[in-house]
Order: sequence, then structure tokens, then C-alpha cells
Amino acid sequence: MTEPETTIPENIQDMSDHAAQTDPLEALKATSTGVENKKMAMWAFLASDCMFFGTLISTHLIYRKIYPGVEDPQDLFSIELTGFSSFILLMSSFLMALTVSAAHKRNIPGMRAFLMGTILFGMIFLGGQVYEFAHFVHDKGLTLSSSVFGSTFYVLTGTHGVHVALGVFWLLMWFLASLPARLGDFRGERSLLLQLGIFWVSPVLVLVSLYFVKHHEIAYLLAGIGWGILFPLILLASGSLRGRYKRENALDVEVAGLYWHFVDVVWIIIFTAVYLVEYL
Amino acid sequence: MSTAASHEQIADIDAGADSHGIWTRPLRKTGIVGFLTTVDHKKIGIAYAVGALFFLLVGGVEALIIRLQLMTPENDLIDARTYNQLFTMHGTTMVFLAVMPLSAAFFNYIMPLQIGARDVAFPRLNALGLWTFILGGIVINLSWFFQGGAPAIGWFGYAPLTSRQFSPDLGTDFWIIGLQILGIASLVGSFNFITTIVNMRAPGMSMMRLPLFTWMTLITSFLIILAFPAITIALVELMFDRHFGTHFFEVSGGGKPILWQHLFWIFGHPEVYILILPAMGIISEVLPVFSRKPLFGYPLVVFSGAVIGFLGFAVWSHHMFTTGLGIVATSAFAFLTMLISIPTGVKIFNWIGTIWGGRIRFTTPMLFALGFIWMFMMGGFTGIMHSSPPVDAQQQDSYFVIAHFHYVLIGGSIFALICGIYYWFPKVTGRMMNDFFGKILFYTIFIGFNLAFFPMHILGMSGMPRRTHTYKAEMGWSEANLWSTIGALILGFGIATFVIQLIYSCFRGEKTSSDPWDARTLEWETASPPKEYNFAYNPVIHARDQSWENKYGKTGKRMEKIAPGEHGIHMPDQSWWPLVVSIGLFIAGMGVVFHGQPLEALVPFVTSEIDVSLLHLTVPGLVLTFYAIFKWALEGPGGYHLHPSPEELKGTREAQPHEQQGH
Amino acid sequence: MKWLGYIWIGILLIVTAISIPQCLFTSDGSVMNMMGQQSALDPQGPISQNQADIFYITLWVTLFLFVTVGGTLAFSIWKFRARKDDDPNTLPPQSHGHPLIEVGLVVASAALLVVIAIPTFGGIILKKKVPVEYEADAIEVTVTGYQWWWGFEYPEYGFHTANELVFPAGRAVKLKLRANDVIHSFWLPKLAGKTDLMPGQENTMWIKADEPGYFWGQCAEYCGDSHAYMLFRAKALEEADWEDWLARQQTETVVDGAGYTPVALEEAPDNHDAEMIEHGTELFVENCARCHSVDPRVQTSGPNLAHFGSRSSIAAGWLENDPENLARWIREPHEIKPGNFMWKGFPDPNDSRVIQMEGLDGADLSEGDVEALVAYLYTLQ
Repeated sequence: MTEPETTIPENIQDMSDHAAQTDPLEALKATSTGVENKKMAMWAFLASDCMFFGTLISTHLIYRKIYPGVEDPQDLFSIELTGFSSFILLMSSFLMALTVSAAHKRNIPGMRAFLMGTILFGMIFLGGQVYEFAHFVHDKGLTLSSSVFGSTFYVLTGTHGVHVALGVFWLLMWFLASLPARLGDFRGERSLLLQLGIFWVSPVLVLVSLYFVKHHEIAYLLAGIGWGILFPLILLASGSLRGRYKRENALDVEVAGLYWHFVDVVWIIIFTAVYLVEYL
Repeated sequence: MSTAASHEQIADIDAGADSHGIWTRPLRKTGIVGFLTTVDHKKIGIAYAVGALFFLLVGGVEALIIRLQLMTPENDLIDARTYNQLFTMHGTTMVFLAVMPLSAAFFNYIMPLQIGARDVAFPRLNALGLWTFILGGIVINLSWFFQGGAPAIGWFGYAPLTSRQFSPDLGTDFWIIGLQILGIASLVGSFNFITTIVNMRAPGMSMMRLPLFTWMTLITSFLIILAFPAITIALVELMFDRHFGTHFFEVSGGGKPILWQHLFWIFGHPEVYILILPAMGIISEVLPVFSRKPLFGYPLVVFSGAVIGFLGFAVWSHHMFTTGLGIVATSAFAFLTMLISIPTGVKIFNWIGTIWGGRIRFTTPMLFALGFIWMFMMGGFTGIMHSSPPVDAQQQDSYFVIAHFHYVLIGGSIFALICGIYYWFPKVTGRMMNDFFGKILFYTIFIGFNLAFFPMHILGMSGMPRRTHTYKAEMGWSEANLWSTIGALILGFGIATFVIQLIYSCFRGEKTSSDPWDARTLEWETASPPKEYNFAYNPVIHARDQSWENKYGKTGKRMEKIAPGEHGIHMPDQSWWPLVVSIGLFIAGMGVVFHGQPLEALVPFVTSEIDVSLLHLTVPGLVLTFYAIFKWALEGPGGYHLHPSPEELKGTREAQPHEQQGH
Repeated sequence: MKWLGYIWIGILLIVTAISIPQCLFTSDGSVMNMMGQQSALDPQGPISQNQADIFYITLWVTLFLFVTVGGTLAFSIWKFRARKDDDPNTLPPQSHGHPLIEVGLVVASAALLVVIAIPTFGGIILKKKVPVEYEADAIEVTVTGYQWWWGFEYPEYGFHTANELVFPAGRAVKLKLRANDVIHSFWLPKLAGKTDLMPGQENTMWIKADEPGYFWGQCAEYCGDSHAYMLFRAKALEEADWEDWLARQQTETVVDGAGYTPVALEEAPDNHDAEMIEHGTELFVENCARCHSVDPRVQTSGPNLAHFGSRSSIAAGWLENDPENLARWIREPHEIKPGNFMWKGFPDPNDSRVIQMEGLDGADLSEGDVEALVAYLYTLQ
């Protein structure tokens, strides 16, 4: 329940506690179970999402058993790269936990920093996936239609990638909301600029380095440049978001965190069922 | 609506005042804007019902054309392809556009009233469910107007008949996308209902005090969120097969058509219970009221509903006994299927136990409820028959199966839903539907239904396969088919007249009190029709059949009424964004349907070499969707306060400090 | 106005009463579903007998339930109806349930299910596995489903036929079921329940006819436009007739090589001279041989037409095999079977707008041509 106020609280920690108790909406937040509605709905969604991924993973496993599809998946996969990006995604879950913890402690700058890290790691994971897809399509000849293995592989990992991308988008929204309303108002948060810098540079660095590895694919470079242009635009467009984050939004960050952890856990299963299983 | 209540906008938390966005927050409650932006669960429930009844009539007309075609052997009223399109659309329409949304109408309207809530947990999400349902229904039916016409693949869409090779026309694409959008409607609705039932019960309304209908809503919602992903993924895979060259179900590329059947029935069997459990909930409400007795064995009825839902996920392969499963799998699924008849039987026993020793009033809803028990029992018995694979080997895909599931879905679901409409109509409109006319309609529908579907048992056992648009006179099926068609016409006449009576009664029905049936559950405690805020006070529950206890129970079991605080009752603001999100999804979906089609084949008077691609419609549609979601998040639930009039607050008391948390 | 309602209900009840004998009995007084060509209640072989037996068990169990549960329901509806002289202020006893009754009923219904379950498991195994005593002299047939006809191959003897399954009575026939395009389902109700023909998968079942006979079967899985026209006939022959039939099927009706000239022309049907047959042969080679083989050893994309003249039905069991029907079938196959490939030709599997193999649509056959083709086809005895 976001109810933004028109006044801009600069430092959330300074706010006194009495406002919440007289808030007429506060009563609505009390639920029969004590679990907030949003969290309950997110759990319901995740239960449903389990079935989505369950269906996709079983499709892949069934077909893998019937038709190996590609001659040697071990030759196809680069377990080092995927292992690394899986590790990064796991670490992002760790950072997400720190984010939620900071949010509950009302430590906004800390929350922002951890959130940034989570997003960054998510981006690195996505970059790895983009690289992997391009590599498979162009170098290994595995496409959606080249074999059933290609069909199940791309649709399964692609669906997961879309989940991660939506998660990144969602967390980015909260990151922007947690920025001070006026960008000049850093209140001593000098690291903010640094964070923003890393944020801008890192995906570009990842993508550019991928470009040099795979030099014939200009798309990486374009993606990097695109992100470089897109990010300042998002910041500019974020006027309606900045300064919106308030103390009670810790719940929303926690709900986003639930989603993020779920997506990571699902990846562990996919990593096992799609990649590791080929090395048995 | 708010004549008796003062209306006060909460200005400071309203994002409508926000200058961002192309629209300001809509405030009008009436007219077209009020309708398109409503977040009131009652208006949404009515809109669901209107849409569902419309599609019920559409599906009914399709059924009647099917029956007329089969009236005589080698009839040529319609050709084979039209017939195949009609049975495909009839099945799809009845399952996804008539029975499910009609159940959802009751979930929306009745369930929050039964648990003493002001609204569902996420009112705007509820509106999204409504609009995606309506647009999904439109997408599926739009297929009639494009090249190739409606899909002719059966509502089950078995691969590989659905592939580009065997179904090159657009109908199948409309079907895929329509079902995906409807899936979104069902899923968001269910997340909402689960949260609402688990979290927003009035104080004292423990889970074992929930009215049975609310219980069945909860179980149905769980079934939906766990079953729909299977078909969503299956449809995604099919869409990829048709558009992007994957091989999920293509034999030539190494795919297995049987996979579609598994995925479809992992969804499809729970779907059967999604269709019937709400009906059972309605019956479990109506029987006690008109027997003037509590439900017999409430815990067991609840528990058996949960067991049915749980087992529903473990029996899907009984739809596939003839596909060449192994002996072990066939035996296991046969055994589990037989098992599921036990909790179903328990319900029937308990309903009989409920009327046993009661004082039965034969009102129209009660007649439909009793008719339900008979017809559902019949459908259950034939179900037991084909739980045995050797018997099923003869009955599968024959008219026997058609008889079976129409006994369960018309005699079961539709009877119960009509029963629910007669029962709750006075609550929704404050008017009655004429009882004598209702009874005549009941007998018309009951006789017409049995005349239409009982002969199909005979047809099935004498070897008439399903989905055949004609048959030879030598087969000996002519008489039974003729009578079945006559029955179908009587049934259709009955349903159509029922809809006319419904519309008539909305305007001319006799006015009535808030509790005309001397009913048992909480929704009868509030006004008919209920005010926007449902209850002027916050009810505190002390018994299972709270309304009954208020009238006849001991003092300690009566409900307490707590007056709202000085702020009044908080109501959520209306919003455009659910509608915009749905439209975005609609556009994106159409883009997928038309993907790869030459433009000139789609749009008249256009000569162009261009093939439609995802860039033309899907990407803009998704951008619109995400933009709308973004704005949705930004505007927040908003809200304003209403103050009930003093006479509505009669008998209430102030909240004690420890009750501050209650709502 | 109320009397109108009563009259209406009265009419409905009378209509229902009239319908019951009509639905159940045929004009000669026998129960209709026993008489039907595809009745599952007229079993002629061990599997269908077993399936009908189990059906009757389930029928008796559910009838018992119907009488007891339905009887209780009817009794309680009648017994506990509200009466005019009831005191509106007294309430019936508000009983909430009785655990012993509830649990007792659960146990009783579970026990009834056991009665069904035991023969069921026997029936599952019977349908899948040929019993040992039939194994020795069983023959094998491979059934392939096409849109919308049936191919029957006798792998032990190396020949194909279509739409008419011939086998010896009293011997088991092991069926291998395959599909060429979409899913079909093999259903011969008087001999056995159905098994699906799945593309990319081979299913098996077996049938046996106790006595020689002529049976009707039909595709039971929706398979596209002309699903309703996908029938077939089955002939169970005496041992001697079977041997005859086998011998005849194994003779070639054509000379291999360039031409499709019938060699073993039996007596040409009346009033068809050799010239006409000659013309028919040419037309056949020109128009039909793309899809139809008349060599029993070769299966092409259309039904094999070797020994076509000896079959009892055409158009996959929809029409009887007589010259009039055959002429109509050649002239306007699309009118008889919509979506028919014989008319519109075979589309490219990847792009349905491209026709890969021409159909009769563009062939422009004259009446005389049709007559000549008919004459030729009946030479394939």
C-alpha cells in the first residue's frame, strides 16, 4: 500500500512513530493471519510460478531422456561460465537479503547500496545468458528449431531470464524510488555518485568484454551503448519515482525480495536439471 | 449509492492530484466511466455475471446448431468444418467463458460479503481479472471473422492436429492467445481470492466458521493457481511450435504429441473440479437454508472438498486410458480415480443428511439444489463406470462420455449456478424472481436436460463416437438423436426464458427485505442490495451460521457490531489502469496471432507486401502494458472515506482499544 | 395464468414418456443398442465380452447405489417437506452431523469400489496381452491411420490393403497401431474397445472374433474435417475363406515397371469393353497413380487399391462399393468427404498454401472418363 505524500521526507530515520498509529488506513493493514496481504499474494503467486517452472523443467527432462537432441551437451555447455553466473545470481540473493534487512532497519543508504549490488549481479547474470544464447546460436548451431533440445532449452532458460529481467526492472524501480527527491540532495551520501558510476559502467564493461571475446557480434556493443544511453534516461524519467520510498515500503522491498529469492532458487534447480545433469 | 452517506475525498493520499500521467484518477461512480474504472467487487461480480450469461447463450446457440445437425442421419444443415468449429467453440466457450466466469461472479460478489470484508484484498487486481476475462472472450470469438474462421481443433486441442501443418488457419492462434489471456484473468482473480479469504475475514470468523461457499472458493482458487500454469506452458509451447519453429509437439522434429495430452489434462482434470466445487459450495449453502437445519457434517464436507481438490491432481491420465499407457500406469490411475468418488460420495451423503429431519421449503433455488443432487449423482455414477479402463475403452470418446460430463456440468454446475442466481438475486437487486415461474422453468430445464442427455448414454453404448458431424442411418442411432435434439431445444428454451426472467426481475421483480429466505450466513445481515461498503459496521463473529444465530441462537452467539471510527469507512479509489493493462495485453496478443501473416489478407482495402511481425503490435502492446503497470504502481490504491448514516449504525458499539486492529 | 404452466409441464412429461420407448427399442421390438452396427453391448469376441461384463458389474453397483442413495433422498424429500400445519416458530432439530454415520458411509462406498476394482485390473491386462492359448496361431496386422482412411499391412505376408480388415475367425489378431499424421483411434466396438493411433509412437492391442462375421468400426479420436467419415469394415472369415483371401491378395494385380497395366484381367464387367478399360488404365496412371498403388506390396500416400474390386465399401467405409457410388466418389470426393486430399491434393507440410501433389480438383474428368475409371477399378478383383 503505497501512499506517497506530497511532502518529501529527506531522512526517513528522523520521522517519528506517531503518524502511523493515527493513520486511518493502518487498520486496513491488519489481517486475519498477521501476514500482510501483499506477502500472502506473493506467496500464492510463487506457488503458481513453481508449477510454471515445474512444467517447463519436466518438459525438458522428459525430452532429454527420449531424444538427447544435441550430440554432446557437454561439448555445448561451458560449465565454467554458467557456474560463475549461477554463483553471481546466488550472491545477488545474499545481497537481496541484506537489502531487506537494511530496509527493515530503516537504513536507506545501506538499502540503496545493497539494492544496487543485487541489480548489478542480476545484470551480470543476464549478460552471461545473452552471451550464452548468442554463442549457442552462432557458434554451436543450437536454435529453437534445430532440435527438441534447443526448443526446451531456450524456452526454459529464456523464461527464467525473463523472470530475472522483470526482477531487475522491479528492483530498479525501488532503487529509483529510494533516491532523494532532488538529485542534488545527497545529504552526505558521497558514495551515491560512485554507486551510480559503477552501475552505469559495469554492465557496459561486461558487455564490452564479451564483445572482445566474441568479436563478430556487434549486438553486444550495441547493447552496452544502449544501456549506457538508457540508464541516464531512466534516471531523468524517474522524477515521479524519486523520493517515493518511505519506511512502510520496507514491506514492498521484502515482497520483491521474495520474488528475487524464488527466481534464484529456481535457477539452482534449472542449473542442476539442465546443465549439471549432463556431466553425470 | 452514497445518498445516505457523506462522501469525503482523502485528498492528500490521492495520486489523482498527481500531475503525472495522461489521466487523472477517475471519480465518477456512474455512467460509462464509472463502469470502466470500477474497483467495487459487487459491480465487478455483476459484470462477470452479465458477460458469463452472454457467453452461456452464445455457447448454447452453438450447441443447438450442433444438435439440429445431428437430429437426422446424414443431415446437411451445416458442413463438417462448421460443425467442428462449433463443437470446439461450444466447449471452449462453456468451460472458460460461461461456467468459470459465472462462478467467478459469485466469488466476487458473495465471498467478501460472507466473510464480512469491505472488498477483496486487491480491488484493482480484481478489475484486471474482469477486463482480461472479457477481452479474452472477445479474442477467442473474434476468430469467426478472420480467414479460416473459428478453430476446429476441439476444446482439448490435441497435438499434432493443432500444428501449422494440419491447422494452418488463424483460428487456432486466436484460441491459444484467448486462452492465455483468460488464464491471466483466472490467475490474478485467484491470487486475490486466496489473499482475501485467508487474510480479510471479520474478527471471530475462524476458518472453521467460514461459509461453505467461501471454503469452496478458496479450494477452487488453489486449484486454479496450481493447475493453470500447466496449460499456460503447454499453450506457450504450442505457440512457439506454430510461430517460431520449435518441436515440442512436432513428430517430425522429435516431439511427442502425448506430452500435450499430459500437460493439458494435468490442467484439465483439476479444471473439472474448478467447475464443480463452486457449484457444490452453492448447494451446501442453499440446502441448509431451505431445510432450516445446519449443514450435516460441516468439517467432513470441507475436508472432502479439499481431498477432491488434492486428488484432482493425481488422476489426469484417466482421460488417456486409450493412448497406450502401460499396465501399471493404467491400473494406478484407475485406482486413484475410483478413490476420488469417495469424497464426492461423502458430499452427497452429507447433503441428504442435511435435509433429513429438516423442514423442506420447495422454493425455486431449493428445487434446483435438489435437482443438482439427482443429476450430479447420475453423472457421478457414469463417472464410476469409466473409471474402469476396460469399460472406458468402449466409452472413451463416445456419446456416453458426453452424457456423463453434461450430467456433471449442466446437471451439476449449471443447475447450481442457476440455483445460486435464484438464491442470491434478492441480495444483489433487492428484488425477487417470481417463484412460480421459476418452478415452471426448473421443470422445463430438468425435463429438457434429461431428454437431451439421457439418450446419449444409449448412443454411446451403441457405438456413436464424439465429434462426428453425421452418421449413417444403418447405425440405429436415429431415434435417440432425434429425441436428444428435441430435449436440447426444450433445454435451450428453458435457459433462454430464464435469462429473460432474470432481466425482467431486475426491473420489475417484487421488492423484498434484506433476508427473504430466513437464511443462515453473514451476507444476509446487510442491506439488499448492499451498500458500497458492504457493512456499515465491523461485524465480530461468534458462530458458524452467524445470521441464523442472530435470529434464533443464544445471546452469546450473536454477532457484535462495531461502529467505524471517526474517520469513517475507507474505500479504495477507482482506476483506469486495469483496463489499460488488459487492452495492452489484448494488442500484444493480437500481434502474436497475426505474426507472419500478410497484411493484405487481414485488413480490407490494403494492398501491401508487408507481413505482420511482432514489432507491429506485440511490442507496442507490451510497452502499453508495462507503462500501465508502472502507472498502476505509482497511483497506489488511493482512497476516500464514507460515513454510514446513523440508522445504519443502530445497535453498534464503539471499538475497544484492543480491537483497533480489526476492520 | 398458473394453469398454463401446469399444462406446459404436462406436455413435457407426455413428450418424455413417448420418447422413452422410442430411444430404447427399435420397431421390431428389440432393445436398440443391442442391434446397432457398432454396439458395445453385443460382444462378439473375448475382449469386448470382458469389457461388457465389467460394464454390467459397474451398472449393477451404480444401480444399487442409485436405489439406496436415491431412495433415501427421495424419501427424505417427501418425508421432511414443510407442511401447511407446521408451526412456523418451531425449528427442526439442529443436528450438525454424526461421525459414525459419516465414517460408516465412507467405508461402505470404499468396499463397493473394490467390487469394481478387481475385475478392472483383470480387464486391463487382458486388453494388453494376448493370452497364451491364443498366442500360437495369432496373426499380425499393422494398422496405420491417415486423414481419413485406414491402412492395413499384413507384415507376415508382405501386402497392404486399406479400409477393410480381413482376418480369420477364432484366431487372435495382434494389431500394431501407428498414425501417419494426427491422432486417430481404432475402435471396433463388437470386438474390442478403442486404442489410439499416436504419431511417433506404436501402440498395440489385439482382437479376436469368436465366429465369422462382418463388423463396423470407426475412428474415435477427432482427427480433422472428415473425422465422421473415417470408418472401416472388418471381416472375420472361416479358415478356408481366409486362406483363399490370403492367396488372392498375394497375387500381383499389376506388372511392375513403367506402366500400370492390369495383367490378370478377369472377366470384364458387363457392357465395358476392353477399350474402355484401357482408357481407364491410362487415366488412372495419369491422375491416380501418384497416390494410389495397385501393387499390394507398395504403400504410397493414398489407400492401396490392389484388389479394390473385392472390397465391400469405399471412401473409408462410408459408402457401399457399387459402380454408382464409385462414380460419384471419383466425380466429387470433396462433396462426400470435405477436406479430402483426393480432391484438393496434398499440401506442403511446411506451407499449407503450396500444393505438393495435385488432386482431382484440376483433373477435369468427363463423365466418360469417370465411367472408364470405374470400369478399370473393378478389374482389380
